[in-house]
Amino acid sequence: MITLTNLSKIFRTELIETHALRDINLQVNEGEFAALTGPSGSGKSTLLNILGTLENFDAGDYLLDGISVKGLSDAALSKLRNEKIGFIFQSFNLIKDFSIYDNIELPLRYRGLKASERKQRIEHALELVGLHARRDYLPGQLSGGQQQRVAIARAIAGQPRILLADEPTGNLDSLMARQVMELLEQINQQGCTILMVTHDPDQARRAGRHIQIIDGQLSDAVLYDPLAAQSA
Amino acid sequence: MEQFIYYLKVSFVSIKRAPLPYALTIFILSVGLGIFFANATFYYQLNSDPLPHKSSKLFFPMMLLAPYECTDCKPPAVLSYSNIEKLSQSDIPSAKTAMYSADGYLRKNAEQTPMPVNIRITQRDFFSMFDVPLLHGSVWPDNSARLEIILSKATAEKLFGRTDAVGEKLLLDDRHLTVTAVLDDWQMLPRLYDANNRNHLSPADDIYLPLETGYDMNYLSNTQSQTFDDTDYRKLSTQGRTGALNQLQYWVQLDTPTAQQAYKQFMANLAQDEKVAGRHPSEPNNQLVAMRNIVNYFGGESSDIKAFALVTLLFLLVCLFNASHLSLNRYLGNQYEFSLRRALGASRGQLQLQMLADVLLMAVFTIAGALLTGYAGIKLMNHLLPRNSLFSSWDLPLLLSLLAVAFICSYLVTLYPSLRASFGTLNQQLKE
Amino acid sequence: MSLYLLCKVLFSRKVVTALLLLQLAMTLALLLNSLLLAQQTQQQLNQPTGLDLDNTLLVQLKPTTAALRVYPALEELLNRQLDAVQAVPGVIAAAYSNQSVLLHGGNNGNIYVLEQQERTNVSTVPMYFVSKGFFNVLDSKVIQGELPQHSVSLDAPGSPDVVLTSSLADKLFAGTPAVGQQINRGRVAAVINDFYGQRSGDHIMYNSVQVAPPYGVDWGYSILLRTDPAQTESVRRQLASVLRNVESNIEIYHIRSLAEQHQHLYRNEYGLAMLLGVLSALMLLVTMVSSYSSTHFHALKRQQEIGIKRALGASKSLILLELLSENWLCTALGSMLGVALALWLNQALAQVISIPALNWYLPVITIAVLLLCVTVATWYPAATATRVSPATATKAL
Repeated sequence: MITLTNLSKIFRTELIETHALRDINLQVNEGEFAALTGPSGSGKSTLLNILGTLENFDAGDYLLDGISVKGLSDAALSKLRNEKIGFIFQSFNLIKDFSIYDNIELPLRYRGLKASERKQRIEHALELVGLHARRDYLPGQLSGGQQQRVAIARAIAGQPRILLADEPTGNLDSLMARQVMELLEQINQQGCTILMVTHDPDQARRAGRHIQIIDGQLSDAVLYDPLAAQSA
Repeated sequence: MEQFIYYLKVSFVSIKRAPLPYALTIFILSVGLGIFFANATFYYQLNSDPLPHKSSKLFFPMMLLAPYECTDCKPPAVLSYSNIEKLSQSDIPSAKTAMYSADGYLRKNAEQTPMPVNIRITQRDFFSMFDVPLLHGSVWPDNSARLEIILSKATAEKLFGRTDAVGEKLLLDDRHLTVTAVLDDWQMLPRLYDANNRNHLSPADDIYLPLETGYDMNYLSNTQSQTFDDTDYRKLSTQGRTGALNQLQYWVQLDTPTAQQAYKQFMANLAQDEKVAGRHPSEPNNQLVAMRNIVNYFGGESSDIKAFALVTLLFLLVCLFNASHLSLNRYLGNQYEFSLRRALGASRGQLQLQMLADVLLMAVFTIAGALLTGYAGIKLMNHLLPRNSLFSSWDLPLLLSLLAVAFICSYLVTLYPSLRASFGTLNQQLKE
Repeated sequence: MSLYLLCKVLFSRKVVTALLLLQLAMTLALLLNSLLLAQQTQQQLNQPTGLDLDNTLLVQLKPTTAALRVYPALEELLNRQLDAVQAVPGVIAAAYSNQSVLLHGGNNGNIYVLEQQERTNVSTVPMYFVSKGFFNVLDSKVIQGELPQHSVSLDAPGSPDVVLTSSLADKLFAGTPAVGQQINRGRVAAVINDFYGQRSGDHIMYNSVQVAPPYGVDWGYSILLRTDPAQTESVRRQLASVLRNVESNIEIYHIRSLAEQHQHLYRNEYGLAMLLGVLSALMLLVTMVSSYSSTHFHALKRQQEIGIKRALGASKSLILLELLSENWLCTALGSMLGVALALWLNQALAQVISIPALNWYLPVITIAVLLLCVTVATWYPAATATRVSPATATKAL
């Protein structure tokens, strides 16, 4: 699904160069639920952005579904994001003056789907996140947990192959966080690959795989056995 | 004061933070106001009253005393010598004068090259009626023909190199005349005593000649002369005095409403007598036109300036909208800071003072820009519509009202945006 | 691109959008009426005059001494001046006339067929008193009759024969032969093709010409010259000195080609059209500034939104298109309002000046120009906005 080989990213200012990512090699398989953890400034968000093609990289290669994203045009990258990748952000990033329905519809419009198909998909996604009754609300009228569920609905309405979540529960209380996690697990069980940045060790443990990043380098990626972890 | 200087400083800082939108706001306001100023100048000057204390007492009697049959006709715009003779018989007016203008050539002696001059051929009361200031000498004692001319100050200076030329001999179209008086600087704007054919836009004349002398010397009007019979206009001194050769304008001063009423009655009686005598076949049509309405009566209103006034007003509106739009954007950009100030305890009143400092600063820049644009606009208009060029000067009341308009506009442009910024919900803005 | 969503964005900013719409509407209204006026002036300047504007020169002059303004000295002066200018190389024909062609008003009077004054009276027809070369200068085509060959004094018994322009002859005689008929100015000798006489007359092409020395020259007189196209300029340069050599006691008011005279005649209309043109250009500039700034600020405020959209798969060009469409939609709405406003302004202006009514194609052109300007002005800030990094924007706040 995702293959990174010797991927590096350098931030340059006039005086210094910072290696945000250094020789990253990573393989994420279809259907995996991977948690990405690391201290602040370790480069985990940069990695997620590169995986989401929101940022480019300086060296190495990134194959998504066997296709290298290197050298793709802006239009091609946009198409790739739109069709294969769903995003969930810590601050939800819903568009304030669009209704819930309009927010979810946005990526589907970019894909050029017909109105009837868009409607069907949006309703399905709203059903899944349990917000069908709130479709005409504005984001500001919903609670944080509900907003994040809208964001998830927006991400999955396009039926992406991979879902990138950047601390999806960071702004939520524990009850809501749990609901969101359950929703993500449910989505993962339906076959969607999920890569999630998190600070919460519990969440990391719940994910099928735990990837740690420190100073721009992957530490030994440890595959947790959920059962083993539980018993530990 | 110290506090206000602080506010000005804050204004400067916020300008420096986003100079482009500020500059654009000033630019747009300046252009809108400048164009408006330029046209307003012409509009104001063209519609100003040159004799505010007596213009309501001065009238032009118009009479249809012409030997042609015509129904529903306006009286001719100019009168004949015999019309004037009859109109002059009334003693109701406290002053009365007939006039026309002609071209001539003036020189000191036969050796000099003749200098083209514009001659106002008129009567004694002209000078008192229109408040013409005299520098040297005295006006003709009566309306009889005399070989005496009155010079404008500029003409005297041009010919003699000095103003006191009383008693000097001159050649006007090779006839000998004596200077009896020299006028002080005088320019009646608009020149309402000669509004026919839009001549109220022209500068004052160079020399003044008695009406009888003008007729004796066969001067034809250089603006409008019409014959309604077979008068030979080369024989002005004889046939011109009796025939229907119309070229004169006539003004009377009627000081009271009673006098005005009495004069109207006099005109009605005159028209009736003339009709009975068979000298004009048409139905009488008398008009006593007040000086204030004379331009309108002759249809000489500057329609281009009027049309342009409408358009510049629209343009100013557009610029105001635009500038407030720009300034709204600027204030919304600073909204966070506004909220922060209020959170730190600034009252709305203090924020309003800050706003006033903003307005003041903007007004200063805008006024400077608007005056520059206005000046350029006037130059352009003088170039494109040269007829109005005498009406392009700024006087104090005009300038002050223009400044007031500029200040009000700056205030309006700043008011709504800053109100919006300072009255927004505090809490929400800080959280955002 | 969804119109529905665009409208939604637009109307979520009520005040700003209303201001923008109003402004666009006013700009369009003004632009349209300026164009109309410019078009009218252009048409007036392009209407046929029946004259060779470029190769006919006009000198307006007057003797400065009284002695030269009376006969016979005057006629002698006129003939000497004509002889002198005719001798200038490049002059094909020369004539004097009591007044020029292409004037606003001048020497004119009523004209009618004798004994039929009631029916045929035309109130304002210019009267030209000219030397016989006049027709040659204007290169007149004789349509009926024969041109008078001799100058006859106006004071001689009987009046000099009259030459009419064809539209005046048609008006007076309605198709029947004019030659030989008696009108109040004399016997009609010939009918020539039309030329532009006086603007304030009954009709610009109504003219009557008599070969006679003018009554008097109190208002000055004209010398008209037809020149060899190749030598017009050199003739023009010499004219003043040639005339002054003949007689120094003259004032030359101006020397113009008829093309310049024509321009001069419509100077006011031209000036007004130019002024409105300048104003329109300024208005377009203001509109461009406004489009620019509204896009600039709007995009700045919506960086996050643009970032989200980019993350959701909108390409840069799509974002650009979205931002441009917002302005296009605004312009389109403003234009609709503007056409209505233009109609109103057109009627308001028609109260004070002569302006043609609005046609259908001018709004289309004007809207196209407006759209172009708005697009140009929006392009830069919109393109800048698309360069927002989606990674940073979605992280913001």
